Amino acid sequence: MQECVQTRHVPIRNKVFKKASVLNKASIINYVVALLIILTMNFFIPRLMPGDPLQAIYGNEALLVMTPELQEELTHRFSLDRPLGEQYASYLLSLCRGDLGHSYYYNAPVLKVISGFLPWTLLLTGLALVISTLVGFFLGVESGSRRGRPLDQVLLGSIMLFSGFPDFFMGIMLLLFFGVFLSLVPLSGALTPYAGHSGLMLVADLLHHLALPLAALVLVRLTATYLLTRSTMITTLGEAFILTAKAKGCPERIIRYRHAGRNTLLPVVTAAGLQFAHLVTGTLFVEIVFSYPGLGSLLYKSLLTRDYPLMAGILLVLTVVVLTINLLLDVFYSKLDPRVAKCT
Amino acid sequence: MHVNYWREVHTTGPGRIGLGLLILVVTAAVLAPLLTGYQPAAYTGAPFMAPSAQHWLGTNDVGQDIWTRLLYGARTSLAVGGGVALLSLCLSILVGCSSALLGGLYDRLMMRLVDALIVIPPVIVAILAAAYLRPNTVLLIVLLSLFLWPGGARVVRAQTLSLKERMPVYAARTFGAGRLHLLFNHIIPDLGPILIALIIQDARRAVFMEAGLSFLGICDPTVVSWGKMMQHALKFVYLDVWRWWLLPTGFTLSLTVMGFTFTGFALETALNPRLRKEAGHADN
Repeated sequence: MQECVQTRHVPIRNKVFKKASVLNKASIINYVVALLIILTMNFFIPRLMPGDPLQAIYGNEALLVMTPELQEELTHRFSLDRPLGEQYASYLLSLCRGDLGHSYYYNAPVLKVISGFLPWTLLLTGLALVISTLVGFFLGVESGSRRGRPLDQVLLGSIMLFSGFPDFFMGIMLLLFFGVFLSLVPLSGALTPYAGHSGLMLVADLLHHLALPLAALVLVRLTATYLLTRSTMITTLGEAFILTAKAKGCPERIIRYRHAGRNTLLPVVTAAGLQFAHLVTGTLFVEIVFSYPGLGSLLYKSLLTRDYPLMAGILLVLTVVVLTINLLLDVFYSKLDPRVAKCT
Repeated sequence: MHVNYWREVHTTGPGRIGLGLLILVVTAAVLAPLLTGYQPAAYTGAPFMAPSAQHWLGTNDVGQDIWTRLLYGARTSLAVGGGVALLSLCLSILVGCSSALLGGLYDRLMMRLVDALIVIPPVIVAILAAAYLRPNTVLLIVLLSLFLWPGGARVVRAQTLSLKERMPVYAARTFGAGRLHLLFNHIIPDLGPILIALIIQDARRAVFMEAGLSFLGICDPTVVSWGKMMQHALKFVYLDVWRWWLLPTGFTLSLTVMGFTFTGFALETALNPRLRKEAGHADN
C-alpha cells in the first residue's frame, strides 16, 4: 500500500523539479548573462571617454546647468571619485534600488521620467506583437495549405512587399495618406489634450490615435511570422500524421488548424521572442514619426538634448522588457510543448 | 543531390525580382558620378526647386540636388550593408566552426554566449554606443556586426556538425588531415550556399538598421545617407517637397531592402529541400 503511494508521488515531484530545472538551466542563465553584458556596456562605454567620469556620463551641456551641490551629490551617490571596481559595485547597487541617475533636461530622476512614458510604449508594442502574430499565423496557415495557388501567390507577394518598407517609412506613408491627405486620423499624440473624455469615449479616442502607429508596425512585422508559419506549414503538411488524418476522413479545416496548425505554432512562439526585440526597435521609430508619447519619442528627445543618463536609462529599461518577455515566452513554450518539459 | 543554386534562384519569380533590384542599386551606386553632373554636398541652385531637366528630383532646403544625394546615399547603404555582412559572417564562421569542431566546454560556453547575445536588440545598443562615441561609418559597421553574428554562428555550427560526420570529411580525417585543413578544404566550401544566404540576410538587416540609425541622427555627419535625408525631409512635410524628396528616398531604401528580401527568400527556398518545388529541378 505504502509503495503504491510512493510511486504515485515520486513522478509528480520529479516533474515539478524537472520543469523548474529546465527553466533554470536553459533560460535564466542566458538572460542573466545578456543582462550583465548590457549592464557592463552601459557602465563602461561612458567611462571609456576621456576626462572626469561625471563629465563623460552627463556631458558638457548638462554640467553647465547643474548646481555644484547636485554634481557633488551625484559624484557621491555613484562613487565616481573611487576606483573603477567600486564604481561598478555602486552602479549595480543603485540599479537594484531603482536609481538610474538624474535627467538634467527634466530635472528629475530618470526612472520617474521613464515611468510616465513606458505604459504607452508597452501598449503599442504589446498590441502589435499580439495582432501581428495572430494575423501572421492565420495568413501563414491559409497560405501554406494552398501553396502555389493564386491566393498563396498574392499573399506571399504582397506581404513580402510590405516587409521591405522600414517601419518609419511605412509610418510616414500612412501618416501622409490617412492623416494629411484624407484627414481621417490625428497627426500626433496618444490622446486629445484637454478633451476630458471618460469611459468609452476615452477608449475610442485612444484607439483613434493608436490606429496608424499600430497599423504601420503590424504591416511591417507581420512578415516574419507569416513566412515562418507558411514554410513550417508546408513541411508539416507533408508528415505522416496528416495523411492519417486525411485517411480517417477528417474535415480539411480541422486538419489545417488542429493537426498542422498546432504543430506549426511551436516554432512561431519561439520566433516571437526574437521578433519582440525587433518589434521594440520598430516601435521606437514609429513613435518618433507619430510623436506618440512613448519611450521612442523620449529617446529622440534625449538624443537631441544630449541627456545621456536618460538615454542610457531608456535603453536599459527596454532591454529588461525584451529579456522579460523572452523569459515569459520560454515558460509559455514549455507549457505549449510537453516534449520540452519532459525530455531534459 | 547536387542542386544548381544559381539556377534555382535566378529562374524563380522572387529571385529574379530581387537580383534585378540589387543589380540596379549596385550599378547606381558604382556609376554615381556618371549619372549626375553635381557633387552631393555642392549647392547647385535655389532651395526647394521642383523637378526639372537640370534637377531630376528638385533641390532640398539648401539647394542641393536630391537625385545626386540619392545616388551617393546608395554608396553609404551598400557599404554598411556589405561591410556588416562580411564582418559578421567572418565572426559567425569563426565561432560556429570552431565550436562544432572543438566541442566540449568551449562549445557550450560559446553557445551560451550566442544565446545571450541573440536576445539583445542591436539597434538599441548601437544607439547607446554611437551616442557616446563619435559616430562614423566604420564604427557603425563594427558595432552592428558585433550584435548580428550570433544568429549566423548558430546556423554555421549546426551545419558544420552535420558536415563533420560526412564521408569525405571522415575519409580526410583517416588520412591524418588536421582541423584547419578540414575546415578550409572540406567544410567551408560545402557551407557555400548557406553562407551566401547569411550574407544576404545580414546585409538586409544592416541596411535597415543603418537607415534607422541615421534617421535618428546617428551617423557620420559628412556622409550622405538615406535615413538622414528622410529625417531632414520630414521637417518640411508641410510644403510640397515631400513628393520628390521624402517619397523617392523612402522608396529607394525600400526597394533596396526588398531586393535583399526577395533574393534571400528565393535562396532559402532553394536551400530547403522540403520547400523546393519538385518541378524546378526535375528536368535537370
